[in-house]
Amino acid sequence: MTTTLRRVPPVVWVFLAVPAAVELGMVFWPALNSFYLSFTQWNGLGAAKPVGLDNFRALGSDEIFLGALKNNVLWAVGFGGLSVLTGLALAVALNRPRRGVGLYRSAIYLPMVFSLAVTGLFWRVQYQPDGTINTVLGGLGLGGWEKQWLADPDTALWAVLVAAVWRQAGYVMVLYLAGLKSTDPSLDDASAVDGASPWQRFRFVTWPQLRGVNTVVFAVTVIDSLRTFDIVWAMTQGGPYHSSELLSTYMFQQGFTFLNLGYASAIAVVIFAMALVFIITYLVRATKNEVEA
Amino acid sequence: MISAPVSRRGFLAGLGGIGAAGILGACATGSDDSSGAASATLTLQSSLSDPDPKAALTEVVKGYAKTPVTLNTIAIETFRAQLPTYLNSGNPPDVLTWYAGSVARDYASKGFLLDLSDLWTGNGPCAGFSPALKELSTNDGKQIFVPTNWYWWGLFYKKSAFQEWGVRPAETWDEFITLCKTIKSKGVHPLTMGTGSTQWVASGWFDYLNLRVNGADFHRELLAGRHSFDDPKVKTVMDHYRQILEFIDPKGRSYSWQDAVTPLNAKKAGMYLIGAFITTAMPGDDLDFFRVPVIDKNVPLAEEAPTDGYFASAKSRNAQGAKDLIGYLAAPEQQQKFIELSKSSNLPTSSKVDTTRFSPLVQKGIKMLGESASLTQFFNRDSSDQLQTVADTALTKFLDAPEDVDKILADWQAGAKKVLGR
Amino acid sequence: MRGKSGWGFHAVMAPLTLLWVAPMIFVVVVAFRSFDDITLHGASAFPRSFTFDGFSTALGTGSMGRAMWISAQVTVPAVILSLLLSSFAAYALSRYRIPGRRAILLTMLAGNLLPPQILLIPVSRVMESLGIYDTLGALVLIHVGFGLGFYTFVLHGFMRSIPAELTEAARIDGAGPVQIYARIIMPLCRPSLAALGALATTWIFNDLIWAITVLRTEAKLPVTAALLNLQGGYVSNWNVVAAASIVAAVPTAIVFFAFQKHFVSGLLMGSTK
Repeated sequence: MTTTLRRVPPVVWVFLAVPAAVELGMVFWPALNSFYLSFTQWNGLGAAKPVGLDNFRALGSDEIFLGALKNNVLWAVGFGGLSVLTGLALAVALNRPRRGVGLYRSAIYLPMVFSLAVTGLFWRVQYQPDGTINTVLGGLGLGGWEKQWLADPDTALWAVLVAAVWRQAGYVMVLYLAGLKSTDPSLDDASAVDGASPWQRFRFVTWPQLRGVNTVVFAVTVIDSLRTFDIVWAMTQGGPYHSSELLSTYMFQQGFTFLNLGYASAIAVVIFAMALVFIITYLVRATKNEVEA
Repeated sequence: MISAPVSRRGFLAGLGGIGAAGILGACATGSDDSSGAASATLTLQSSLSDPDPKAALTEVVKGYAKTPVTLNTIAIETFRAQLPTYLNSGNPPDVLTWYAGSVARDYASKGFLLDLSDLWTGNGPCAGFSPALKELSTNDGKQIFVPTNWYWWGLFYKKSAFQEWGVRPAETWDEFITLCKTIKSKGVHPLTMGTGSTQWVASGWFDYLNLRVNGADFHRELLAGRHSFDDPKVKTVMDHYRQILEFIDPKGRSYSWQDAVTPLNAKKAGMYLIGAFITTAMPGDDLDFFRVPVIDKNVPLAEEAPTDGYFASAKSRNAQGAKDLIGYLAAPEQQQKFIELSKSSNLPTSSKVDTTRFSPLVQKGIKMLGESASLTQFFNRDSSDQLQTVADTALTKFLDAPEDVDKILADWQAGAKKVLGR
Repeated sequence: MRGKSGWGFHAVMAPLTLLWVAPMIFVVVVAFRSFDDITLHGASAFPRSFTFDGFSTALGTGSMGRAMWISAQVTVPAVILSLLLSSFAAYALSRYRIPGRRAILLTMLAGNLLPPQILLIPVSRVMESLGIYDTLGALVLIHVGFGLGFYTFVLHGFMRSIPAELTEAARIDGAGPVQIYARIIMPLCRPSLAALGALATTWIFNDLIWAITVLRTEAKLPVTAALLNLQGGYVSNWNVVAAASIVAAVPTAIVFFAFQKHFVSGLLMGSTK
């Protein structure tokens, strides 16, 4: 393998340097600024006042922040878990070619082409007090289940989650469908002949072969779950009274509405720290795969 | 790569300042080279994103011949979020629409706003404005704002609906409660209120009840942080608020202020405490309003009269041009043109505008404001956008769980202290 | 699964799929209703009107038509530049013994995993210092910068799987690094590039947060930001908002279906190996 990795000609350095410089300027340099700002108090004008760890200390006693942190964990688990489970289940169900499968597949992954803002907009109509969901519940004689989905602190976060999963599941399904295509059908057939149940065949034959796809799905899901902002902003803006607040929406509010740029940056650093946990997990997995390959 | 040499300069400029937050501020100097070109056109950043006001301002701006003007209309929620960024950027918009009062003062005290005192003296376009308007536009002895229109708040209802139900507007609190009960007995929600995506609407009732129970002076002091939100006087306000909760259409918790107009229009709701801008969502002659009823006769009458207008960025590349444009927009002819074209029920700030041609509804609004002993703006305009957010949390929670009022007020005070302490 | 009858399968999948598309059908229906119909009968009532008003308002005074053109001007160069630059980096990192190449690759990927919120305020300042704040160029640049890490990572995985013999042979024939890149590596990466192109197109086209961070001129707002702007103006005009969101969704839908096959195969090839 290493024999292909030639000594590096200058032009190759340029190949690397240009993109690296762009990313450095557009991503790492601003990020560094944010790190610095998290140790200051700044309203966007004049000089930022260094305050050491004050912002982080204040976060520890900020109930809204702690609520948002909890919601973020719920979100990551709920969004990741539900979209992967749904996506995988749909992929398995729609894997074998038969009549109508193409139509089902297309219908299910169509939502992913919509922007999160559009998705939020779509679903806000459904969740209105007189919207489709309540109308359908009423029509089914389940009037007692009708709720103000987005205005009820008990349901708001989950209502947004459903919309987000609706968009994401089709995407995950596409990835798994591709993964299933590259599995070896003869293994499956062989184990079927050996009398394995469908679940056993999936668990012990198919699932291990999906390892590579899992890594991709994991990465995509984590990126999207940490990016979540637009859809919450479009649907609830974190409300009612912070019950659907995520770190990203709270940070946005602190940064732009309150102009507490230092405090907002401290929240951003916390988001980054959370991301780091996933990033490291992901990198460990990626490295492991490589050793095996 | 075209960007390579430029970005290198950017990095170098930045690296020098890594230890100081000056980096970000200093970056602004990097774009000075483009200033010559920028001043040829004036930029007017507008938050008037509703179709009619937008079209009206476009038309008014078209009539300005001295300098080409670029009108940028940005949806109000985005505008609100980005306003500090606009003002703080190296090449900011020259003129911006926004609100008078504490909100504008807040930006002025941060050094964002251009001194517009020239326009208020001598033959300046604002020289004839009322002293109250001048006071509202002043920070530290300088005028930093130019008001061009204002409006009133009231309990809006449909004349035909009141006729149908055989009810009349209320003047006292007791009458009002009776009125609500009567309407409710017809199977109609007496009040509608869209506090879903526009939570600030809930502050309307809070402001008014505080004005009626404790008076305008206490209200202003409270919003300026000189009283506590868990003061027994505020508790009394909430007791009154609690009395009307059963009359409010619960679905309003999911609505925007505009959505909440629909039940009013369909006669499924009786009244709506909202600003005169409701006429843009519900045109026609059937709409009428009455003053929020008196609770304590000894408290002088006060009304909310939010004032809109323009300010200019301190960093404008063409300060003279910006002032001239604002002067143009504040002139009586333009005020009149804007109000007519926007189909709003806003009132002009210039006394030279002929208001006799305005609708009877507007005449009634002018009369009501004339009768009141003092005028306030609105919660956020009398405090700040930050305090409004804290109030939104407290009030929407209160709408859901009025029995927790003590805890809610305590949290409100804690939140306010945090905002004001920063 | 094979043993089950087709009926059972369709009995589950047909209603499920219907449920899945119901919100979309609903939005399409709303888009074709008239404003009066919606205000009178409510947004979820059975339609009693059919009109193109929503679409004509959205495309006309709602400026969605202009926004489409702006989005095209941003998306096309941003996607091309992203793929070009990331293929440069992936080529350098996958075919040459660059010291710390693994760390570089992972750092670049990590940069893409950063929550964009952390960059918002500084990014607008950087754009100002470059003198390109409020230009479409700035938007292109930030999209390229922010996406590079991920694209590089995927392309790197793909390029590594290209057999060494191919490039070795070319090298012996006297081809330089640029020729190998252009004549051998890039053509082989075509499926992967198509996949990333489709993905990047949807990401960039659907972006909201960067557009409102680096742009403030109304006439320069791309589709999603323009949609938000329109929604702020036509708050309870659900027909206009619905029509505009359909308009905003059509281009990505076309791209997605056109590149469907590439999308699926390419993205995974780099990673299953």
